[in-house]
Amino acid sequence: MNRRVYLDHNASTPVHPEVLEAMLPYFGERFGNPSSVHAFGREAREGVDMARERVAGVLRVSPDEVVFTSGGTESDNLAIKGVAAARGRGHLITSAIEHHAVLRTCQALETQGFDATYLPVDGDGMVDPDDVRRALRPDTILVSIMHANSEVGTIQPVAAIGRLTRERGIPFHVDAVQTLGKVPVDVNAFGIDLLSFSGHKIYGPKGIAGLYIRKGTKMLSIQHGGEHERRRRAGTENVPGIVGLGRAVEIRGRDMAAEAPRLTALRNRLWEGIGAAMPEVRLNGHPTERLPGTCNMCFRHVESESIVLGLDLKGIGVSAGSACTSGNVEPSYVLVAMGIPVDWAMGSVRCSLGRSTTAEDIDYVIESVVPLVAKLRSLSPARV
Amino acid sequence: MRYSETLIDHFRNPRNAGMMREPDGVGEGEYPECMDLARVYLRVRDGQVVEARFQTYGCGPTIAASSAGTELIIGSPLGTLVGLTGAQIESAVGGLPEDRVHAAEVVSAAIRAAARDALRRMARS
Repeated sequence: MNRRVYLDHNASTPVHPEVLEAMLPYFGERFGNPSSVHAFGREAREGVDMARERVAGVLRVSPDEVVFTSGGTESDNLAIKGVAAARGRGHLITSAIEHHAVLRTCQALETQGFDATYLPVDGDGMVDPDDVRRALRPDTILVSIMHANSEVGTIQPVAAIGRLTRERGIPFHVDAVQTLGKVPVDVNAFGIDLLSFSGHKIYGPKGIAGLYIRKGTKMLSIQHGGEHERRRRAGTENVPGIVGLGRAVEIRGRDMAAEAPRLTALRNRLWEGIGAAMPEVRLNGHPTERLPGTCNMCFRHVESESIVLGLDLKGIGVSAGSACTSGNVEPSYVLVAMGIPVDWAMGSVRCSLGRSTTAEDIDYVIESVVPLVAKLRSLSPARV
Repeated sequence: MRYSETLIDHFRNPRNAGMMREPDGVGEGEYPECMDLARVYLRVRDGQVVEARFQTYGCGPTIAASSAGTELIIGSPLGTLVGLTGAQIESAVGGLPEDRVHAAEVVSAAIRAAARDALRRMARS
């Protein structure tokens, strides 16, 4: 049996044992509906309230500014559509490399009469705050820029953008699904009014996420039903998930400072090992302003899916930048927006490290990737 | 793993990989939607394929189909290869998921083109 190495933590993470331990009672004896007034319901409500306080504590916000949702996609939808619904019309600013949950929400609003500007990024995947400044209009109702991109890990200058939006009183939404618990997030210092975050990217369960909504932010609910979440998100709470998210955020708050430099060192070890061992390979994303555990590389003259398959056969889990779906392959829209040529972008592979990743894992990946890429290149009709 | 054992074996250990010097026929198959490209070289003696080699850029299934396809056609009469189908290549690789059937089409197209090229050269000589 091959060694197994998981380097796809930006896609999902295993539930932390302490998170699982916190969740388990809420599948069993504390199963009640938190809206019920009896003791069963009150026990569940205590779990939800405790989780909300934990999240608020790490974010340094008020608990009633935290809304739980079903995932990062719903958080992004609630933030953007909620603000748009409150205003009725207007202009949105976002970037070309946002998650589809943001991009397609903005595109959907365009079909309903809203305007949207999709800002470009530079070769490192960075949004220029001056571009945001130039795009602002009197009718701009929201700016939505992700904190860090999931593919290349570039961390955006959200504090500089937040200063611009705050000066003009425009709500600022930040998709922090890839950053909360990995790098410092300070909604006050960054001028953030709406912040999306998710459980399963930070060793919490899937199907649970949250949205920070600064007090006074004008928005409407987009999901109607009961009075849950202070009428901002109808639907019976996912109590075990919420408890797990609360614990996961708390643990990340505790462990992040020590883990970030360790993962940065491992990420650099991976790139230096691969970059030194072969030609025609490039590192994508900002050289320093990048998520600690993210290393996205392009291997020219090789298709990324063949690398992913070859590594999978060695027990290594990474993700492909280009995806072949129904017979069509598209290079990553993020890499294309960064200006990376298609023949390079077709060979992009993302390695995302996590708390279980060791130096031995990294060395095993280097030892596996180098001969695999050499072999695939030897099969290729393209000249290397 | 959603791929057949045969496919994985051909991907792990590709047969007949690499270019051929002075081939009797060369052909390419492409799938532009996927940017896959397979190039097949044939050596022919007495109207039969005695050696086949490939160079392929593409996903794992296309590489495996190239290996299985070249293995399949060695010993075949050249004339039969101009009618080779994607289904024959798919069968040789142990089946393909629906969204990877193009792998067999790319390789069968390359083999058909190589066979036509070899027949043209034979007709000229």
